[in-house]
Amino acid sequence: MDLENTKAQMRKGILEYCILSVISRNSCYASDIIKELKEVKVIVVEGTLYPILTRQKNAGLLSYRWEESQQGPPRKYYELTSEGRNFLVELDMSWQELVESVSQIRTR
Amino acid sequence: MKITVSINIGGYSFNIDEDAYSELKIYLKNLELHFAQEESSSEILSDIESRLAEIFRGKLTAYKQVITFEDVRQAISVMGTPEDILDTEGPSAREKFSSPGYHRMYRDPDNRIIGGVCSGMGAYWDIDPVIIRILFVVLTATAGIGGLIYLILYIVVPVARTTTQKIEMKGDPVNIHNIKESVKKEFKTVRRNMKL
Repeated sequence: MDLENTKAQMRKGILEYCILSVISRNSCYASDIIKELKEVKVIVVEGTLYPILTRQKNAGLLSYRWEESQQGPPRKYYELTSEGRNFLVELDMSWQELVESVSQIRTR
Repeated sequence: MKITVSINIGGYSFNIDEDAYSELKIYLKNLELHFAQEESSSEILSDIESRLAEIFRGKLTAYKQVITFEDVRQAISVMGTPEDILDTEGPSAREKFSSPGYHRMYRDPDNRIIGGVCSGMGAYWDIDPVIIRILFVVLTATAGIGGLIYLILYIVVPVARTTTQKIEMKGDPVNIHNIKESVKKEFKTVRRNMKL
């Protein structure tokens, strides 16, 4: 078994959940999300984010609005839809369960 | 003195050094291929281009009016190459868009002892070619016919030259991911052989 691959699978698993969590706090654009993730040591390249955000938007979990920017082209600012909020609540519960299970197994 | 190219990226016009332009063009093409299987690939690419325009605008000053190779390199490291990009969608999405495993027998030129007949058959049925070779030797020793069968197979079974054929030899689906993996493997083999 490949250690790097297994680690990557773990990171992939939490990424969409983390992204929804970040957006739930305030509307933000891709670069903001990267910065927040970096602060908690989840390091991904921006290219990873765009397909995920678009997929979540297509699934009705996110909506966006355009904002003019001094720095260049207009930016998409994402926020959670009500469906997205429900989805996040489900993921929160799922995460709690996972953390509990893993903790119990580790401390047996 | 260098030649510059004028580009439109994300709706903004930039002057970019020729070598930087080539690098950028290849990068965008690779991204396009990487996202080709995504439903909203054009939207994703457009978002990425807008972000690139933002990054490039940040690099221009009153004294620097041209995007350089180094700028492009730096932008690529921020955005990430297809290899850096974490694909969170399961493999089922990838396989959806590939041709089904067209499975046919080829002679395997990379793993051959004589003509690749046995390694080709091994690849087709996913068994160790050594077993097939033993079979041939036994056939030749007992019935004398092994050599003839081998010769017929050598003539009739085509040799796998292209990457696509090598993938088909194993019966894997021919999609971008498998082609990339196959090319990587072949590159390693060539490097190894050259070092000898």
